[in-house]
Amino acid sequence: MTTVSIQSLVKRYGSSTAVNGISLDIEHGEFISLLGPSGCGKTTTLKCLAGFEAVDEGRILFDGRDVARLPPEQRDIGMVFQNYALFPHMTVAGNLAFGLEMRGRPKAEITERVRAVLDLVQLGGLGARYPRELSGGQQQRVALARALVIEPKILLLDEPLANLDATLRDEMRTFIRDLQKRVGISTLYVTHDQAEAMTMSDRVVVMFGGQIAQVDTPEAVYDRPASAAVARFVGQANVVEGVVAGANGDRRIESTLGSLPMPQRLGLTPGTFVSIIARPQAIALTAVASGTPLAGTVAARYFHGAFIDYRIAVGEQMLNVQAVPPALHEPGDAVALGFDPARLWAVEAA
Amino acid sequence: MTARTLAAPWRPMLLIAPAAVLIGVFLILPYLNIVVMSLREPATTTPYGSGFSTGGYAKFFADFYYVGALLQTLWIGLLSTLVCLLLGFPLALQIVRASSRWRALLYGIVLSPLLVGIVVRSYGWTILLGNNGVINRALLDLGLAQTPVPLMYNSFGIVVALSHVFLPFMVLPIMGALQAIDPALEDAARSLGASPRRTFRRVVLPLAMPGIQSGAILVFVLAVSAYVTPVLIGGMRIKTMAVIVVETLIDQFQWPLGSALALILSAAATLVVVLFMRATRLRWK
Amino acid sequence: MRASRVLLGLFCLLICAYLLAPILVVVGASFNAGPFLTFPPRGLSLRWFAAFLNNQVFIDAIARSLWLALAATAISGVVGVAAALYYVRFATRAKEAVRVAILLPLLLPEVLTAMALLFFFYAIGIGTRLGVGMLVGHVLITLPFVFLNVVTALHGFDANWELAARSLGANPWKSFRRITLPLIKPGVINGCLFAFIISFDTFGISYLLKDVGGATLPLQLFDYLRFNFTPEAAAVSTMSIVMALIVVVATEKLVGLKIERF
Repeated sequence: MTTVSIQSLVKRYGSSTAVNGISLDIEHGEFISLLGPSGCGKTTTLKCLAGFEAVDEGRILFDGRDVARLPPEQRDIGMVFQNYALFPHMTVAGNLAFGLEMRGRPKAEITERVRAVLDLVQLGGLGARYPRELSGGQQQRVALARALVIEPKILLLDEPLANLDATLRDEMRTFIRDLQKRVGISTLYVTHDQAEAMTMSDRVVVMFGGQIAQVDTPEAVYDRPASAAVARFVGQANVVEGVVAGANGDRRIESTLGSLPMPQRLGLTPGTFVSIIARPQAIALTAVASGTPLAGTVAARYFHGAFIDYRIAVGEQMLNVQAVPPALHEPGDAVALGFDPARLWAVEAA
Repeated sequence: MTARTLAAPWRPMLLIAPAAVLIGVFLILPYLNIVVMSLREPATTTPYGSGFSTGGYAKFFADFYYVGALLQTLWIGLLSTLVCLLLGFPLALQIVRASSRWRALLYGIVLSPLLVGIVVRSYGWTILLGNNGVINRALLDLGLAQTPVPLMYNSFGIVVALSHVFLPFMVLPIMGALQAIDPALEDAARSLGASPRRTFRRVVLPLAMPGIQSGAILVFVLAVSAYVTPVLIGGMRIKTMAVIVVETLIDQFQWPLGSALALILSAAATLVVVLFMRATRLRWK
Repeated sequence: MRASRVLLGLFCLLICAYLLAPILVVVGASFNAGPFLTFPPRGLSLRWFAAFLNNQVFIDAIARSLWLALAATAISGVVGVAAALYYVRFATRAKEAVRVAILLPLLLPEVLTAMALLFFFYAIGIGTRLGVGMLVGHVLITLPFVFLNVVTALHGFDANWELAARSLGANPWKSFRRITLPLIKPGVINGCLFAFIISFDTFGISYLLKDVGGATLPLQLFDYLRFNFTPEAAAVSTMSIVMALIVVVATEKLVGLKIERF
């Protein structure tokens, strides 16, 4: 069980800065995801942690000890690569034994631990096979087992599910998370897929352009994003510009759509320019009645089975609204929009 | 993706150090020394004297023997390259188009000369081309000739033998270029209305050009600097520049002159290569 | 369309005949029963093989060629693998320059290289003694082949394998020995095979740099067949071909042969 602390990490490649001052603490047994678009620096951060890239500035502490100068083989890490990187010339058992051999464990112990970890990942009995004889999902589990059998200080995963098809990916998501909880190992998971990050993590680190935009639990990142960019990345978001208005007790936000209620959880002073963030599920569609303040027209409608996707045109703007079936509104209908203050969020405009 | 190790960033240098020393000290330095050597004074009892002069170069231009030999060498080189091209391109085409069983066999046949050694190969040609050799005796026996046809001790024999020796070096690069052509390109051309002939001329040939260029340059340079084959096939009657150079060095023990001749040969060959590259670049780009 | 395919096939058959002719002629002539070098052989006999096996000069030459080839291959092997690793993994800015530099012995005429070495070793006082110049020359011309083959093998090598080994606790040397080397072995062996054959058959370097009495097989053969017209030289040539074939077939069985392009 290890705490890992990244302090003001900076990594440059030539004239561009890939990681620009990242600080992060990973607690005992915590599952942390680095989430962001390609090029945001998440993989570079992982590589610095693993020791595959040299650090330009900053410190990396494992249990308080700075490992930034140590080569990878001395950091006691366990890494799962995107393409698994299983040694093709060794059997599954050989692959699993490798890390233990490097640590000089006795033969009998190695055999026992390999057997145990194969059972742990539900591949018992496949020790004598070669990686090329296994399916993608099985290879993935061998890669996991290889990283775990050495009982490293931290588990590092670099977009491990990217090469799997959709159903397998869903399966493996839960598999990896359950395994991690059972073993209780501190884990850093890099992905660009927000569903993975949200469903698996204790905390999510959203990164853009080499810097951390927000570190929080998945619910917090989704419901209370730190910026419009974060909001858009972790899910669909309607972003509306406005300014805080009204007196105490009756705060409103005057926006480009019209007058919107103030999000319940925020205290903002009048005159502040804000971006309101409304998730598609946070807007209710009702029939237009007289005196309805906010109204729009259904521009399009998409049936997803479990929910319906509406595109609502309000003046010049287009909103995404999600509703539960049955579909009550046809394209071309006029609809009234209801914004629930309990589910709205706003960030100060940049 | 490179794994830059943190500890000892100088370690990668160790990997390249032996090769660097080998090439730098034992190849580049000595080659530069050839230039120096060509400018030294000749001597009688030692390979070279203590002073410097451009006597070697002067001797080349003064004596038509040398100039003639150079021109003849270049001519032989060009002919050999042409023959290799005419023979090698169809062969490369065939190998690339063949089914895998035939391909392996053809590959083996193309490479077999390389396996056998230059001396053995050239020797084989002397047996074939001599006045009493296999070809002549067949011609005489079949009544196709009254007296032996001189196939050896002349440019013809040398070109035939050199083309044989260097054919693999023409075939391999062309094969490489042909294999790199996306088969979908030919289909695309055909679908746009091009006949097989047109497709070949407008799509395949231009794309194979880099391979043809590489092969031609390689064969030409090799042919122009060949020693064993011209010595065995040409005998005393016809000597290429490389033969003269070696003679000058080993038999006459005159290193400055030999170096000068070798450098002149290299310069001439390089000139031809550069002209060739200019010419082919203009046509196909 | 059919016709041109057939023509191409026929033409290629002729070219193959052209390619094989000298070799077949030499091998055939070596079985001559009489003292004349003719093809087809007049009478079949192994007497010329017996003759050369009793000829100490040739036996010495073969031994010398073998040892030289082994030594040159061993050295080129190590230097070439190291250089290939550097080129694929670490070379950044001057990458093309590194490649061209290592391929130089292949691109430059062998006669020139031999001259250059001769002058060099003479200048530093060793001359052709001790066979040092000869060995260096052989290493130089075999190095590019090892380099090219190992580079190709490394291109098929997933860099993540080595990173995985490092993450599991292997230091660079252990990672090379347990992971990289086994996986590039075919390329290394291929390269060494080429190196061996090239060294065994090379003439130019050996001719200019040979020590007194230090003739390699190609040299000895060359001397012999200029003035001697019995089939003995043909028998030696046949032996040399057979030896090369054995080496190739043995390697093919062990590793599977792959020829790389320049």
